[in-house]
Amino acid sequence: MTDGSLVPVRLLVFRVGTLACAAEVDQVREILPRLPTTRIPGAPPVVAGLVNVRGTLVTVVEGWRALGLPPPPSPPTSALEGTLGSTLILELGAPGGGGRGGEAENGSHKLIGFTVDEVLDMLAAGDHTLEGRQGLPGVDPTLVRAVGRRNGELFIVLDLAALLGPVLTS
Amino acid sequence: MDLSQYAELFLAESREHLSACNQLLLEWERHPASPEPVGGLFRAVHTIKGMAATMGYGRIADLSHRLENLLDHLRRGGTAPTDEIIQLLFRATDALEKAVGLAVAGREREADLAILTDIDRLTLQTKPTPQPSALARHFAEPVEPAEPAEPLDLQRLRAAPAAPAAPAASGASRLVHVLIRPEAPLKGGRATLVIRKMQSLGTIHRIQPAAAAFESDDFDGRFAFELETGAAAADIETAVRSVGDVERVTIGGGTDESQLAPGETGSAGGRGRHIRVDLRRLDTLMDLIGELVTERGRLNELAARWVGQDPEIDEVAIHISRLSADLQNEIIQARMTPVWQVFDRFPRLVRDVARQLDKQVEFRVEGKEIELDRQILDELGDPLVHLLRNAVDHGIEAPAERKRRKKSPEGEIVLAAVRERSSVAISISDDGRGIDRVQILEKAKREGVVGPHVESLSDDQLLRVLARPGFSTAEAVTNVSGRGVGIDVAMTRIRALGGSIEIRTEPGKGTAFVLRLPVTLAIVRALIAAVGHERYALPLTYVAETVEFGTTPLTTMEGKDAIVLRDRVVPLVDLRKLLGTNGGAPAPPPRRPVIVLEMGERRAGIVVDGMLSQQEIVVKGFDAPQGTLPVFSGATIMGDGVPALILDAAGLV
Repeated sequence: MTDGSLVPVRLLVFRVGTLACAAEVDQVREILPRLPTTRIPGAPPVVAGLVNVRGTLVTVVEGWRALGLPPPPSPPTSALEGTLGSTLILELGAPGGGGRGGEAENGSHKLIGFTVDEVLDMLAAGDHTLEGRQGLPGVDPTLVRAVGRRNGELFIVLDLAALLGPVLTS
Repeated sequence: MDLSQYAELFLAESREHLSACNQLLLEWERHPASPEPVGGLFRAVHTIKGMAATMGYGRIADLSHRLENLLDHLRRGGTAPTDEIIQLLFRATDALEKAVGLAVAGREREADLAILTDIDRLTLQTKPTPQPSALARHFAEPVEPAEPAEPLDLQRLRAAPAAPAAPAASGASRLVHVLIRPEAPLKGGRATLVIRKMQSLGTIHRIQPAAAAFESDDFDGRFAFELETGAAAADIETAVRSVGDVERVTIGGGTDESQLAPGETGSAGGRGRHIRVDLRRLDTLMDLIGELVTERGRLNELAARWVGQDPEIDEVAIHISRLSADLQNEIIQARMTPVWQVFDRFPRLVRDVARQLDKQVEFRVEGKEIELDRQILDELGDPLVHLLRNAVDHGIEAPAERKRRKKSPEGEIVLAAVRERSSVAISISDDGRGIDRVQILEKAKREGVVGPHVESLSDDQLLRVLARPGFSTAEAVTNVSGRGVGIDVAMTRIRALGGSIEIRTEPGKGTAFVLRLPVTLAIVRALIAAVGHERYALPLTYVAETVEFGTTPLTTMEGKDAIVLRDRVVPLVDLRKLLGTNGGAPAPPPRRPVIVLEMGERRAGIVVDGMLSQQEIVVKGFDAPQGTLPVFSGATIMGDGVPALILDAAGLV
């Protein structure tokens, strides 16, 4: 799943801590403000908790923890005004899915939330903007599908299945 | 005309008839001399044939037609069926069931009709040879030779004519409505009797509701059918009334399509009172009422806040609460389904498994009428199949071994449903060999499931050992059960439904599994408890009582804190510790509430920081992240829109 499958593709670019990241727009169900979470006892620290998305319960992953980044300088205490970042609601397909299995595999789509500090942009990325998977200092290379450039600044295209898949497999 | 919209209906009705076929075959197999089953089989297959022909399912119509021929010979032959015939009929029922499924999926061509050769061969072999007897000459008609144990008048009536050549059949078609007295017992039996009598007068078509519905508990005694007969109306009426307890008979003239249409007359065969509803509709209704209940919670919170400004808001909130509660009740009721809808396929299953293993089993079902939410019932099928197979395979001994142990060679398995306080208990018990604790204990030690110093296993520990994935007690893995998958799969499924499993076993006497299930899934009453700053919901289903910590004597049990409640020691579970909750100082010990859970024989006291409310909650599933403590059965959305997790009593007790 390293190359080929990415071109051309529309990406949502966002910031987690100091890191610019991107996800395929097709995998983003919606962008919500940060929602009040309910802790899930026993879940690993990377899980922020459970949120209510219009009646559906979704497990939310804390972005900076999942990417192994340092904690935000001033932890988001709810006292501040609304700019506490966003929650992306992502749709994870079956591992290696996308086949034409039809309805049989329908149940394997799972929703998961992912907190980010700021949504930056939406852009169409072609061959020329993306380079094949490549490590970026401080980021686990297995989570990186590709590296791209926006306004001269580097961003990584996240492998969401690798990043979030393990959280939900129980 | 596009019939596809009727496919589902065809499927549902065919399944009812096929299920009836299985029941009848089982009965016939047990009592080969009994004349009733073959008549019922004939009618069921005949009905399927008619429906299939209407739907244009040629292969099903053909298969059921040829099967009908065979059944007709058997019916007229009147001799007890050979084992070969019974086995063929079972296989034919299966083939028909498969074909029906395929046809509805638009793949009727794939239906395997290889069985037709056997059916036709036996049809030829069973062709009744006309034996002119005195009785037959008397009626100048072909006659069934001796049908034992039948009252004479019935025999005379039956002897006449179900044969296709019977002259009586060639008459006008009349529409007959019958109403059995509401207070009469066995209304279904009377209705069946009426149909049987009518068959002696001519050919019957289009029974409404379908004959299978006569056995249903809500059969209200109204039914209608079309009778093709030369008999006079008065004779028909006399024949109908002869079964007794008939309140009303209406005999119409020739029929046309519209006359049997639902709602056409007040007495139109009970049709006006029951309709089939697509399950998805009921699910949607349930989801919607769930959201309404959640919003109701919000409204009540708002009303409490604003009641100072405008007292009227409170009135509206109360009214809406009451209406939505009524609505919710109705929807839950509409989803309740008697367990026989799932249980009815088990007699056949048990018989097949027993036959395969050369065992003799008498299988009884009790409490068929007990109701459960449709969804729970659907999910219950597989676990029960596992447990029943287990019972036949591992529970019941081979006939020789049973004789050696001075037991009847025929083992007994009972599947029983019983309504308890707010749950339903379903037990599967056998009178077989029981589970050998010593052997299991050894095995558990060898596999490191229990410590080496454990000397005996309690029922509870035994179950835990048995339910370990991959733990097999079978000495040899058979293809019936074994492999140790049965119990852990069953247990996981039951737990996911918010239920529990218990086991009782005694060497040489038998084993019983008891499943306890909530009556309904989607909306339950729950206690909302505070632990630190967090809220958790505890369904009331298993809450026995609440007490205050410190008002009851403290003790320890197996090294853990416990309280003594009316002379029983109840172990405590401190939720703060269990859930790793920080923040919010716990209330001082004497004030801490303890929620006592009770599940069958097991009890536990759950220590929380406070009790917030008691309310209806809508149970929702969530994808539990890895590592989640196995003590949650789902989550709900509270009045403020924030989720709260639901504690699973089975995981705590």
